[in-house]
Amino acid sequence: MTRKKIPGFFRYLALLPLLFLGGCSSDFWLFNPKGIIAQTELYYMIVDVAIMLVIIVPTILFTVWVMIKYRAGNNATHAPKWSHSNALEVLVWGVPVVIVVVLAVYSYIGTHQVNPWNPTIVSEHAKYSKAKPLEVDVITTDWQWLFVYPSQNVAASNELVVPVDRPVNFRLTSTSVTNNFFIPQIVGQVYVMPGMRSKQSMVVQHIGEYHGFTAALSGGGTSWMEFKVKAVTEADFNAWVSKAQQSTDKLTYTTFKTFAKPTINTGGKVQYFTDVLPDLFGHVIKNVRDGKLLYKTPMFLTENMLSNEFKQHSN
Amino acid sequence: MLVDLQGPWSPIFGRLGLLLDVHYNNPVIFFAFQLVVVGGALLAFWLTCTNRWKWLWKDWLTTVDHKKLGIMYILVGLVMMFRGFSDAIMIRTQQAMAVGPDSPGILGAAHGYLPPYHFDQVFTAHGMIMILLAVTPILVGFMNIIMPIQIGARDMAYPYLNALGLWLTVVAAALVMIALFVGDFSHAGWVGLTPLTELPYSPGVGVDYYIWSIQLGSIGTTLGAVNLIATIIKMRAPGMTWGRLPIFTWTTLASNIIALTSFPVLGVALGLLTFDRYVGTHFFTADLGGNLMMYTNLFWIWGHPEVYFVVIPAFGFLSEIIPTFSEKPLFGYITMVLASMAIALVSWTVWLHHFFTMGASPGVNSYFSIATMLVGIPTGVKVFNWAFTMYRGRLRFPTPMLWALGSLFLLITGGMTGMMLSVPAINYLVHNSVFVIAHFHNMFLLIAYASFGAVAFWWPKVFGFRLDEKLGKLFFWLFTAGTLLVFIPMYTLGFMGMTRRLDYVAHTSWQPLLLLEMLGIALYTLSVLAFVAQLAVSIRDREKNRVTGSDAWETSRSVEWMTHTPPPFYNFAVTPVIHDRDEWAWRREHGLTSLVPDRYLDIHMPKNTAVPLIIGMLTLFFGFAMVWRIWWLAAASLIAIIVVMIIRSFDKDTDYIIPAAEVEKMEQEILSRAAGATGDTADAPIGGGAGGAYASRHAPSQSRKDT
Repeated sequence: MTRKKIPGFFRYLALLPLLFLGGCSSDFWLFNPKGIIAQTELYYMIVDVAIMLVIIVPTILFTVWVMIKYRAGNNATHAPKWSHSNALEVLVWGVPVVIVVVLAVYSYIGTHQVNPWNPTIVSEHAKYSKAKPLEVDVITTDWQWLFVYPSQNVAASNELVVPVDRPVNFRLTSTSVTNNFFIPQIVGQVYVMPGMRSKQSMVVQHIGEYHGFTAALSGGGTSWMEFKVKAVTEADFNAWVSKAQQSTDKLTYTTFKTFAKPTINTGGKVQYFTDVLPDLFGHVIKNVRDGKLLYKTPMFLTENMLSNEFKQHSN
Repeated sequence: MLVDLQGPWSPIFGRLGLLLDVHYNNPVIFFAFQLVVVGGALLAFWLTCTNRWKWLWKDWLTTVDHKKLGIMYILVGLVMMFRGFSDAIMIRTQQAMAVGPDSPGILGAAHGYLPPYHFDQVFTAHGMIMILLAVTPILVGFMNIIMPIQIGARDMAYPYLNALGLWLTVVAAALVMIALFVGDFSHAGWVGLTPLTELPYSPGVGVDYYIWSIQLGSIGTTLGAVNLIATIIKMRAPGMTWGRLPIFTWTTLASNIIALTSFPVLGVALGLLTFDRYVGTHFFTADLGGNLMMYTNLFWIWGHPEVYFVVIPAFGFLSEIIPTFSEKPLFGYITMVLASMAIALVSWTVWLHHFFTMGASPGVNSYFSIATMLVGIPTGVKVFNWAFTMYRGRLRFPTPMLWALGSLFLLITGGMTGMMLSVPAINYLVHNSVFVIAHFHNMFLLIAYASFGAVAFWWPKVFGFRLDEKLGKLFFWLFTAGTLLVFIPMYTLGFMGMTRRLDYVAHTSWQPLLLLEMLGIALYTLSVLAFVAQLAVSIRDREKNRVTGSDAWETSRSVEWMTHTPPPFYNFAVTPVIHDRDEWAWRREHGLTSLVPDRYLDIHMPKNTAVPLIIGMLTLFFGFAMVWRIWWLAAASLIAIIVVMIIRSFDKDTDYIIPAAEVEKMEQEILSRAAGATGDTADAPIGGGAGGAYASRHAPSQSRKDT
């Protein structure tokens, strides 16, 4: 009946959603995992959706069928008193219970596999690869990232370079407010909180450059708080470390305090440091807890702010 | 001062000196200001010209009638929803404009037209307004109007308290609107992320506006919850047993049990934050022993039950609308009651799923994951039951039914994405992304759909005339097209990795979908116009669309359709006696639809009072004074509030009796007016086949046997 109402050309508009398939390229970061954690997380997403669809598709079809079949004037059976059926009661409670039990089991297993404090999936991988895990300390400031490599005695701001196929263990903390460490194609999120330490682990499997950023609101510079993730070969990693070690900037506590001043990284600036203060990470946590690393946000930054003042606080 | 404040402070003006430094050259704010001033002036002009000030005072501002209070609740909710929608337009345009490093900025912004802190204020206000000042008042308004009539009561258990609840909600809304022009608003998200809300990171008055607005408004909601629960327990008509309570009343009960128990938690959380900001304690700071995770816990211990506080009444709307237009009783009544109560119970065990990514142990995360999934069971049950209600029905599709079915599909999709979010392994990828935003907007739109359905469904009951169907359907389809165009791209962007609250969008590949969302927002704007046009046309044609009987839909089932349309201020001439779960359907079946009782009795009613309004005004002064730290004004208004309360407690002259003779006279008048409209004679039963009915103590008493 609708055929004649819609002119031929407009009928093709129904095909428009197919354009979304064009998006199934590398732009869909969540569907293009490059590390084992993100891959496992994608697997659980697919399983979860598939199980849900088993119940949702029939429900939608049934509802639509009922709407068509029992519309007034269609002279279908009308049962004006029917409002109870023991068999259906069992069905309506039973089906969701079964689905939830199945999903709960998957959720339990998956949670342990990608648990940020000790992902079993990474420790299993480490057994085979035998590579020694790389330790990286992540410190966020308002509004920059600092990646400290204690064993290599270097640090880099707003750039994370890691070797492929080698587990990386992170310790994370913040100097000011909460941030959220997220590299969509490699590893899921974990909060980075002031005065506290959180952990994360990952293994990147493909050489390439990826996007990392904070996924939590931390004030005016949040949107610019991005970092590049470079996954390179072991040899390239060592070359990068030697290059960084040649930097003239030394990361003492004094230079760190300068670095930690509120700065919006609009230019995506990267900086390398050497001679990192031993246990800078622990130092930062202690000082934040004692209230000795507190930069008040200037009042004009939080009022109806004008861009000149904003620019003074960006790099 | 106990804390180190940036900027000036004086004993007389508090921090108001800050305003001298603010540049009021922002065209966005200036436009909003003009809109409010011109709108307010026009309203005042209209009231003066039509000589309605006295009417406004007598009939509305000092009323304790639950129906009028409910209408005002909904009005406040709709106005604030419009404000929240304006914020949404700004969020969407900013994100569509500020894409990629090459995107220019205007009006003093580096990108787009809003500088970061202004943008942050906009989305904070949007979230806080939509949840606490739009959805909540609209639902509380419906509970106020419908629930007492549905249980055969004359008014709420505490009419004076009811009015106080309304005026405190108005105070909350007023404070947020004042924050738009006088000072700023919180920029820390509607959840008030600590330590971002602490004084070092939010030195202005924005967070203080946020705190006091929510705090004062939530006192109103808590008082309302006490009242609604007491009304359901104590004010039911004879025969209205728990097993016969209409489903909407059941959901009102479930939802207000949540409100009564959860809002105090919010009060404590914000109270501790207030101490941090005003007297320099360190509950939620990172330093000196504070713990920000404690705030997050407390906030979401309120926040998640709150989500169900607003969704359960929406389920109640669906359970009233769908059976009416299916011409069948609700399938599985007991199951529906149990499911509502189960949701209310489980709502208390899931809060931690809002911060799976905080690094809790896998044991903790699994526990809260599974607890969250449990909500899916009663919700799934409800969906099935609505489907089976329609099965073997005789379905009609007027606007309320369209909205109800729309929310059914939103519940299915939103439920599915909710189940995805409840799995930590997935949550780590999509937490804080626009996928989450799409999910909870999906669920809140379910509430919006159900509420718009409820507006269309009960409008004829409350005002006595139907809404225009043609424009109503246009409103529905435009709104639905907007929903699809905004939220399908938003889900998609979530899979692309876009996070929430971005005032600058770094990745240009997200732009096409952001532009598509703009198109959706444009359709939403058109739908708002369609809604306004629907109201205007319906009011213009009200005589044509007048409902003649008591039952506007002719297949309605519950008690509120048993009294005149619109109901007189005393609701029922004689308290009805209830015989069945679907009392009105039962009476229709047994031919007991007469609106004329055997005899009339005296009616006991509460008197109008200006005290709630006065307390509201004083509370507004108190809130404003606390925000700007004008201590003398805060103390003075607090003392005044207490004094007014004490004086009121000595007032014994709070109620009156309408003699039976006068009730009869008023009833005759209503009956003859209705008869005049249909051309019938006064003593004939009105409303044609459907008609209206009053209690008959001699009606055969029987309970339904489920077959």
